[in-house]
Amino acid sequence: MLELRKLHTFYGPIEALRGINLEISQSEIVSLIGNNGAGKSTTLMTISGILKPQSGDILFEGKSIRESAPHKIVRMGISQVPEGRRIFPKLTVRENLEMGAFSGRGNTASSFEMVFSLFPVLHERENQLGGTLSGGEQQMLAIARALMSRPKLLLLDEPSLGLAPIIVSKIFKTIKEINREGVTVLLVEQNARAALKLSSRGYVLENGHIPLHGNGAELLNNSNVKKAYLGEQA
Amino acid sequence: MFLQQLINGLTLGSVYALIALGYSMVYGILELINFAHGEIYMLGAYFGIIFFGLFTAIGLTAFSLPLALALTFVLSIMFCASYGFTIEKIAYKPLRNAPRLSPLISAIGVSIFLQNFVMLTQGATDKVFPPLFGTAGFRFLSVQMTYLQLSIIVVSVILMVCLRFFVRKTRMGKAMRAVAQDKVMASLVGINIDTVISVTFLIGSGLAAIAGLMVAMYYGLVNYFIGYVAGIKAFTAAVLGGIGSIRGAMLGGILLGLVESLGGSYISSEYKDAYAFILLIIVLLVKPGGLFGKAELEKV
Repeated sequence: MLELRKLHTFYGPIEALRGINLEISQSEIVSLIGNNGAGKSTTLMTISGILKPQSGDILFEGKSIRESAPHKIVRMGISQVPEGRRIFPKLTVRENLEMGAFSGRGNTASSFEMVFSLFPVLHERENQLGGTLSGGEQQMLAIARALMSRPKLLLLDEPSLGLAPIIVSKIFKTIKEINREGVTVLLVEQNARAALKLSSRGYVLENGHIPLHGNGAELLNNSNVKKAYLGEQA
Repeated sequence: MFLQQLINGLTLGSVYALIALGYSMVYGILELINFAHGEIYMLGAYFGIIFFGLFTAIGLTAFSLPLALALTFVLSIMFCASYGFTIEKIAYKPLRNAPRLSPLISAIGVSIFLQNFVMLTQGATDKVFPPLFGTAGFRFLSVQMTYLQLSIIVVSVILMVCLRFFVRKTRMGKAMRAVAQDKVMASLVGINIDTVISVTFLIGSGLAAIAGLMVAMYYGLVNYFIGYVAGIKAFTAAVLGGIGSIRGAMLGGILLGLVESLGGSYISSEYKDAYAFILLIIVLLVKPGGLFGKAELEKV
């Protein structure tokens, strides 16, 4: 469904991605793990068209999207929940969701129904300003907003960041549920263990390279991964 | 005398408010002080004179004055809107990722260019907008108000109500607010930023055109330099209200008009232009963000 080929992207003067290859098939959950500054967010921002790659290609359903504008990429069916959630603070919850549906994919009324059944708390807070929600609620709103465009592929950047463990497990459960409804997921996480448990496959990103990839269980048992990302002694 | 000055101040203030809206909307979206905006207002006044003169020459004014006026307004708005649209594309868009000072300097350049362009093509002397309504009006509580003054206030209020509705309730209006709050996120939900920016310039320029045309009718005289003073006053009004805030621009404009008019009659008319800035200094000392500007809080 999505294929990154020898992708090089600069973030300012720094070459943040140094030739990465990555592949995601229909209805998979794939996780991309790595430390701060490894290039995880850069990867997602390049897929979404916010950053333009220096060289290499991005294929979505067989077509190159590397020259496409961000709003066109959303229209093709790729939606992103960025790091830090980036809720529109002075729009209401409902308006935030309306903006999620801006691309006009799918029926807005039924999308509202779908996200409200997934996150009933958003229904209760419909008319509250986005900026007044708690961190966990904001994360739910961010995911719901991305789902409003009925994406085929959902890019999630650190959905567990800064949240209480109980909310994190709820968010991860929801991701699984979304995936079961047929949405393909690319999950970027520092919380490697939880991410890999959820995923069918994983990629490890280090300084803009991908030294390692494999299925979730394999990576969880890999001694290098254990040492570097799971905090275990090998 | 107080009521009389109140009416004069309201008239002047609604014009300031219409121009201030363009400054504030563009600042809200691009964080750019569009110094060429006052020139759009000046162009509105000139287009008004040109089109109305044309309609008079071909006999349309004699046939139907309301029709000629309506067409004059429509054409001036369209021409000014396309000037605003083009200025953004040529002078600001290529500099969108440049340091902030660059588009600002570009804006000053556009402003100087337009002043000189109008001076060269239209001449440096005052142009006259033919007096249509004279001093026709009515008396109310010992106050004399002309129909023209009443129209300026009413038209401005209607426009501001429409704009407020547009920004709060329509899809494009909400997209504008989303872009003002977070441009990257707005693109990530599928909003075309370029379209939103263009719409902002079209609306701001249209409002400035209406303001320019109404002032041309009110004072009767127009020259290539009127955009400079009006622009600075309107910019002051926008900062006074809290730049980036639409409500702030409206109230800032009206407040400025009132202060000028009351200060001019009760204190001294010699310092008429100074009152605006004295008020600005006082407000900014007490409330640095302007009347409706707020210090932004970010949740991490």
